[in-house]
Amino acid sequence: MRFPFRQLPAAGGGRLTSRPTVDVWLEGIDAVPLASLVDTGALRTRFSRDLATAAGIQPDDDLAETFAVGGTIVTGAPARVLMRVGSGDHAHAWEAPVWFCDPWPFGFQLLGLEGFLQHFRVTLSAYHEWLDCKPET
Amino acid sequence: MAARAVQISGQQFELDPRRIVRAVARALPEPIRDHYVVIEGRRYPPKQVIALATGLDRADFTTHQARRILRRLGFTAARRSAHPTPTTSGAPKRPAANPVEALRPHIGEWVAVKDDDVLVAADNPAAVLAWLSQHDQTADSMFRVPETEAAAGGAAPA
Repeated sequence: MRFPFRQLPAAGGGRLTSRPTVDVWLEGIDAVPLASLVDTGALRTRFSRDLATAAGIQPDDDLAETFAVGGTIVTGAPARVLMRVGSGDHAHAWEAPVWFCDPWPFGFQLLGLEGFLQHFRVTLSAYHEWLDCKPET
Repeated sequence: MAARAVQISGQQFELDPRRIVRAVARALPEPIRDHYVVIEGRRYPPKQVIALATGLDRADFTTHQARRILRRLGFTAARRSAHPTPTTSGAPKRPAANPVEALRPHIGEWVAVKDDDVLVAADNPAAVLAWLSQHDQTADSMFRVPETEAAAGGAAPA
């Protein structure tokens, strides 16, 4: 499955750097997948807590952690969820832990080692601005 | 621009651009079928705008009337199918939009995009999802349009 980098406007005019994102379907949200940044430096997969609420997912607050992301202190709690990329014959679903974080002032959800990169072989070309995901299983 | 006296469905209204902007300020745009007008960077169906500004029932006027009124007030009016591009299936497809410029009015907002166009934008994901459900729509992707490189990239937490 190939995903073009996400192109973004800059507030002052021009563009921000295009980002390698993958559109991930989250269980409980059927109308639209979530643009998610592939982050090879992240151990965990982290989504906005608002999305857990919208999807009817109850993270385990007994396991909540507070940490810093991009200079922002956030609290995240995990839930094991079903996710999917692609559609039809090209869809691939997997189950993995996602840490739902509040606040989440970032543009995208974050796909880390646990929850995403352990499930896919990822090839990307920043020059050509595309990213390929191939399921490992 | 000065207010214009318009007659719609036998009733007189004094409309000006500020009244139009105020009328739609709290309304999420409904799905665009074909015609739209651009107000504060957002695309709205013309009938939705006139209904909000006048309180009239949408059955009381036509899309053509609504477009004409809004154009005279200085708003850009256009249609999605103005330059249909044939596809292999023969179905018309909208011309490819500039995805960056489509996102620009929505920096800082959550958006649902489809075919490189913004279907809906709102302050939070719940409002975007509610709109998609209410209008029985699906989209290609949802995210918050970041203001800065930092907000686009987040960070690499452990």
